[in-house]
Amino acid sequence: MIRVEGLWRTYQMGDHELHALRGVSETIEDGEYVAIMGPSGSGKSTLLNLLGCLDSPNRGRYLLADEDVAGLGDDALAETRLRRIGFIFQSFHLVPRLTAVQNVEMPMIFAGIAPSDRRRRAESSLAAVGLSDRLGHKPNELSGGQKQRVAIARSTVMDPGLLLADEPTGNLDSRSGAQVLDLLAELHAGGRTLVVVTHDPAVARRADRVVVMRDGEIVKRVQGQDISDLNGLFDISSEDDPSKQDLNTAREGDETEAVVPEKPV
Amino acid sequence: MNPLDLLRFAAQALLQNRRRSGLSLLGVVIGVVAVVSLTAIGEGALRYVTTQFASLGSSIVNVSPGKNETTGGMPHGIGGVPNDLTLQDAIVLERRVQAVRAAVPVSVSTDIVSYRERGRSSRVVGVTSEFQQLQRLDMDSGSFLPESELDRGAAVVVLGHRVAQELFDNANPLGATVRIGSWRMRVIGVLQERGQQLGMNIDDVALIPVASGMRMANKSSVNRIMLDLYPKSDSKPVIAQVKKILIDRHDEEDFTCISQDAVLASLSSILGILTLVVAGIASISLGVAGIGIMNVMLVSVSERTDEVGLLKALGANQRQILQVFLLEATMLSSAGGLIGLASGTALVELGNLLYPRIDAATPLWAIAAVLGLSLGTGIVFGVLPAWRASRLDPVAALQGH
Repeated sequence: MIRVEGLWRTYQMGDHELHALRGVSETIEDGEYVAIMGPSGSGKSTLLNLLGCLDSPNRGRYLLADEDVAGLGDDALAETRLRRIGFIFQSFHLVPRLTAVQNVEMPMIFAGIAPSDRRRRAESSLAAVGLSDRLGHKPNELSGGQKQRVAIARSTVMDPGLLLADEPTGNLDSRSGAQVLDLLAELHAGGRTLVVVTHDPAVARRADRVVVMRDGEIVKRVQGQDISDLNGLFDISSEDDPSKQDLNTAREGDETEAVVPEKPV
Repeated sequence: MNPLDLLRFAAQALLQNRRRSGLSLLGVVIGVVAVVSLTAIGEGALRYVTTQFASLGSSIVNVSPGKNETTGGMPHGIGGVPNDLTLQDAIVLERRVQAVRAAVPVSVSTDIVSYRERGRSSRVVGVTSEFQQLQRLDMDSGSFLPESELDRGAAVVVLGHRVAQELFDNANPLGATVRIGSWRMRVIGVLQERGQQLGMNIDDVALIPVASGMRMANKSSVNRIMLDLYPKSDSKPVIAQVKKILIDRHDEEDFTCISQDAVLASLSSILGILTLVVAGIASISLGVAGIGIMNVMLVSVSERTDEVGLLKALGANQRQILQVFLLEATMLSSAGGLIGLASGTALVELGNLLYPRIDAATPLWAIAAVLGLSLGTGIVFGVLPAWRASRLDPVAALQGH
């Protein structure tokens, strides 16, 4: 179970402070599939970074399987990311000079797993995403969908309980996007907790639950049947017109959401 | 992280940017080549000097008139006019100093040596028959000066190779009569060619009996006395004995007595210091190369910010990221060190082919130092970029900031 309580994340932007999160509290059950939606700048990526132990909150608690990780040091956070969390990024983040299988091996290198074991696990992980025939290919020899599948293989190779995906279909055409979503659903069915940040209603529709954020706060939680009702979703995120515009334009301009954080004080 | 994985990861990162890695590596190569070749030249000079001395015979003690003051004291001439060295001094030294095999009095003057219309200004050196063994001289033809009483000067001459060639071309000089100044001397031998040696060119001399030489120069003294010691004699007690005897005879120390060893030792230490200084200057270029590496690594870290972010997201800790980047810098510098060592050695060998007289070879200490230095350069100048990478904020790094 993942629980966050009263999370605040504040960035110092020159003279004024920018509150990316204003006291977010949420509980995610083990094995749950949660989509986080919301307009650009609503704080969903910040929340995802905190859940991924890439960042620490200024205030609040983060319980990962009953352990408070908000106060852990850098090395302990790295260890947590290594063993318990897998990341999937919008822009794949594969190392260009490494082959598919080498990219998948990377987390295991940091974990100190023996080379032969590593190779076997990387290969079976790539087989699970249907890329057995692409082991020796470098990222520039793969299509976007294939790259994201390599990234998914990498995120699961250490068998983490929690998978975090930030716009996993954002750079993909609809066909490869659907493939990726199928894979995520499979992983979810295998018992993993899945948290996906997305603008894409098609992604959100597959989730158990949708959390909608605005201005650093959770403004709505949608569950079960309601999700399949696309209109309902649009209602949520378009309570006023400007944010609806946000939702439609953000897919082209995702950089606008990338807050440039100063180093946390 | 397993060291092999670390190595492979760093090597792949370096190979991704071949030109940049190559250029910064070149800086190290140049520095190492400089150190390797300059110390090789220094070592070659040292060897050259040493072999020259060895060919002179290492156990020679030189006595020359006048006190060479090197530690202050009375200026020349104030303690009285120095006594000259005489033939008698030589006779006494040979008789009374046990370790002396032979004492060779030497008189030196410069005169025209001529045969028919041809003449050549040469050093005319008066010596004894023992001079041949002392200097290890080989004959081209004829024989060396015969043994005789010291004060008997026969009218015979042994010509250096060059002198004989200049005067006689290819004709046989043996038995011919040459003029030295206003004296007529019969040629009884010609020396083998030897080339330039420290101090004098033995090819360009005319050797005559010392008594003849003194008469020719109209002197009653000799320019020096060379003492040839028995093999494995220690020159120090010999010098002490020589000093005692001569002070007895002259009533004061108006002569200088040094062993060949001492000259060699001081020359060696001068050359050694020179080599060190030159190597030190050359190794400054290694420092410059280190800054080049640091620059490349800083650029590399800022270009690969997102990669650092990824490594962090995947669970690499700060130490692992530090290791990766530090190893890249160290690989650059030590590869540069090895390549530089190889090409520097090749350069030195090429130089040896072109100038065989100087046997240049990089001393082992320089090889060890240069490899250590290049490795150290990578570590020292790689720390800052690597540390910077390891401290990057993962969220910002993932976005490439």
